[in-house]
Amino acid sequence: MRYIKIIFFAGLMFISVSLFAHVGSPGVIYQGKAGPYSIMVNINPPDVIPGTTSISVYINNQQVNHVYLQPVYWYAGDKGSPKSDEALPVNGTPGQYQGIVWLMQSGVASMRITVEGPLGKGSAIIPVMAISTAQRTMPASLDWGLAALGILLVVLMITIIGASVTDGISTPGPQSKPSARKKYIAMGVTALILFGILYGGSAWWNAWSSNYRKFLYKAPLAHTKISVSGGQMVLHLNIDTAWLNKNGQSMNYIIPDHGKLMHLFLIREKTDDVFAHLHPTRKDSINYQVALPDMPAGRYLVFGDIVQWDGFTETISDTLIIPAKPAVQNSPVISNTLYHDPDDTYVISNAINDNKNPFTGKTTLVCGKPGIEMKLADGSSATWQHTANTSFEANKIYPLTFAIKDPSGLPAKLQPYMGMMGHAVILKYDGSVYVHLHPVGTYSMASQEIIQSRINGNGKVPLLPNPKLFIDSIDRLISSIRAMSEDERNAYLNAGMKGMAMPAMDGMVTFPYAFPSPGNYRIWIQMKWDGKILNSAFDAVVQ
Amino acid sequence: MDGSIHINQAVKAEPKQKAANIDYAIQPYVYASVFSSLCIIVGLIWDISWHTSIGRDGLLAPPHDVIYLGAIFAGLFSAYQILRTTFFGSPMEKQSSVKFWGIFYGPLGAMFCIWGAIAMLTSAPFDDWWHNTYGLDVVILSPPHTLLALGMMMIQFGAMIAVLSSLHATKSDNGAMHKWLFVIASGLLLTSFYTLFSEYLNKSRSHSALCYQVGAVLFPLFLIAVVRASKMRWAATATTAVYMFMLCMMLWILPLFHATPRLGPVLNHFDHYQPFHFPLLLVIPALAIDIIFFKLENKKPFIKVLLASLLFLYLFFIVQWFFGGFLQTSPDARNWFFGSNAWYFGANPDWEYRYAFHPDRIDTGLDLVTGMLIASVIAILTGLVGYKWGGWMQKVKR
Repeated sequence: MRYIKIIFFAGLMFISVSLFAHVGSPGVIYQGKAGPYSIMVNINPPDVIPGTTSISVYINNQQVNHVYLQPVYWYAGDKGSPKSDEALPVNGTPGQYQGIVWLMQSGVASMRITVEGPLGKGSAIIPVMAISTAQRTMPASLDWGLAALGILLVVLMITIIGASVTDGISTPGPQSKPSARKKYIAMGVTALILFGILYGGSAWWNAWSSNYRKFLYKAPLAHTKISVSGGQMVLHLNIDTAWLNKNGQSMNYIIPDHGKLMHLFLIREKTDDVFAHLHPTRKDSINYQVALPDMPAGRYLVFGDIVQWDGFTETISDTLIIPAKPAVQNSPVISNTLYHDPDDTYVISNAINDNKNPFTGKTTLVCGKPGIEMKLADGSSATWQHTANTSFEANKIYPLTFAIKDPSGLPAKLQPYMGMMGHAVILKYDGSVYVHLHPVGTYSMASQEIIQSRINGNGKVPLLPNPKLFIDSIDRLISSIRAMSEDERNAYLNAGMKGMAMPAMDGMVTFPYAFPSPGNYRIWIQMKWDGKILNSAFDAVVQ
Repeated sequence: MDGSIHINQAVKAEPKQKAANIDYAIQPYVYASVFSSLCIIVGLIWDISWHTSIGRDGLLAPPHDVIYLGAIFAGLFSAYQILRTTFFGSPMEKQSSVKFWGIFYGPLGAMFCIWGAIAMLTSAPFDDWWHNTYGLDVVILSPPHTLLALGMMMIQFGAMIAVLSSLHATKSDNGAMHKWLFVIASGLLLTSFYTLFSEYLNKSRSHSALCYQVGAVLFPLFLIAVVRASKMRWAATATTAVYMFMLCMMLWILPLFHATPRLGPVLNHFDHYQPFHFPLLLVIPALAIDIIFFKLENKKPFIKVLLASLLFLYLFFIVQWFFGGFLQTSPDARNWFFGSNAWYFGANPDWEYRYAFHPDRIDTGLDLVTGMLIASVIAILTGLVGYKWGGWMQKVKR
């Protein structure tokens, strides 16, 4: 039975080919199909669970009668989901429907969007990670307002108790002379009791707040370092076991996405000029390593995207100092035993505060801007299809479309890169926003497939597999993927996409995205052309 | 019930002091405060049923509207009473009121009601911020909900005080109406007490000593206070009858309406409201309190309280142990009348202890004896406090 479960989940992984991960960009965007209908969905998950999520559904030039929204948790499955709610048309915006859904528990959830119309009924499952991340303080106006009402309540209660033991029980009439002393004693005692109640209430509030913070989502901690062997720098990523134990989490159940256990991004801090997309291998459940390409020295932001077996996606963050490349030494060359992933890549562009790139070579470029064609080192070009010299609005969905031309000026015949027509990483200059997305949106297709399998399953909550067997099965799966030819690998990775991840190959790729906040952003686009990974980078201003 | 409530002779004999000779009609705020108390309890139990059956709500969900209607009704009528007396009241009316803050004149009951209304309205923005900061409701007791509950109970208590002060000041021709209003107001507050502590008093707890300890804290305290304050012969019995009537009405009426869960996960599926609990059979032990206070009228207060508290507790224990067992385990209780099959949508309907007592919630042997001894001490102490409290309420005149 145990093996059947492992095979079942390994099967899920075979068709899970995309990942979703972010820092500071919680919105989920879906571009795809709901049966016969093409839809785009923008989900704003709550930052406090339980909470409500607002959902906008956009339907382009297709008549529909009803749009329904329903939360489906991985834990609860389809049978445990509440009745759906209808999303209502937005006045003045044809094709847009709006609704609200409650997410009551933390964990892997999803939204089922059901569209009904003349073409029949179709639905889409969009994963949403339901996690509490917000730590709010009370606005000053509310703070002062509640304090004033609180004082009023205290004063009024002291008054009432004072009156209760004197005036309130004295016989009505002008001769009535209640004892003032008795009144003041009662008021004093009441004040003391109220002070005690307020103190107790304050302690209760603090305990509540402390407990909330305890259960806030915290991404796994990891420590990265560099070792050198035979002139080759190797990056080691060690996930903090103390942190795992403290938070009751495990790294035994990581599943591959795009055939990789981890997608590791390195971006040089403050200048944002050096960008690398690497795929470390696993030494054991908490130790990963990867050979570093020939990157300039400096302090780097590190983002490692992983997916858990239940579809929970998360990003491990750290910072890392990469030293200058050492001279070749005669030390043992352990790096030769490392797997050098052909999908690893890096690019050096100009720094964010500099229009020129001091580096030269095939891995260098000067960042492009919307609407202006930029030349790449191999003679091809990339153009961000957006009006030149215009900024973007925060929290508004844009189809970020990029047109790639080959050196002859014709639309490039793009090839799948790890099963997708494009990968994008968006980073806010200050590092507060990081997101890895694809043409289908910012959601996790791995989670999507796992939730869909849960819906199609027998309704029972899957039991946690044996960790050793699970790790072994995943490692064998990774090995088998590596052994494939590129065509085989692409065919394998595409098997689970059901046509969603393979848009028309006309040299253009679109990433739907809504910038979460105003500021300056850098966007790295990764595609494949002529058997080579084609990196380009752009800058955007968001108002 | 009319025939069962009589003003004790002591009440008739007591107002010998020379009072202002005003022909007191029952003021509108008195009716309004009792009506508010009714709104609050209907809204509260409906809200619990809503959360059990539907799950999600909003600030202006229908049960909340009923509760807030209670707050607004009590607050506005009480404020009107105070402002009218302050600015347009005759000197006689002012002398019959409590003067506070150097300006205002008003009855104590109205002041309690206003405090309750302000507390309830304060809790609304506080609760809204709380939801945004710590998440939507998943528990009953949180700081803003506690403030709301305090406000609700203060209005309900204000209703009792309003009726009592009106009763103590009135001429006898309004006595019957006052008695009705008082037992209704008391019964509604008792329903609130039960509801707030129902976690420890429900049928699944009826075989644990904790249930009777919590009952010992609440019931002798409140019922002895009511008996002493009203001096009605069957005050405790009538109050508990109102409590049982309210819960039975909510139990029988709510399931007539359609309701389906709107939050996941949904483990228990249904299409109508899941009602709140069948009431505790409090009328039987409450009868003992009334009999003791009537039969032993001239005995020392301590003796009366001691006997009334202990007799109440042991009768409550015997009756509820068996009746709670019936509700929890008998298939005959799983119907519309007893409502034992009501079940939260998010709970597993096949849970092995749905219709059985959880081992952690059964006390037997020495544990039970010790627990009941502790409950006995608690009952005597709270009974004494209730007697003092009732003595104060008995004297409320404004």
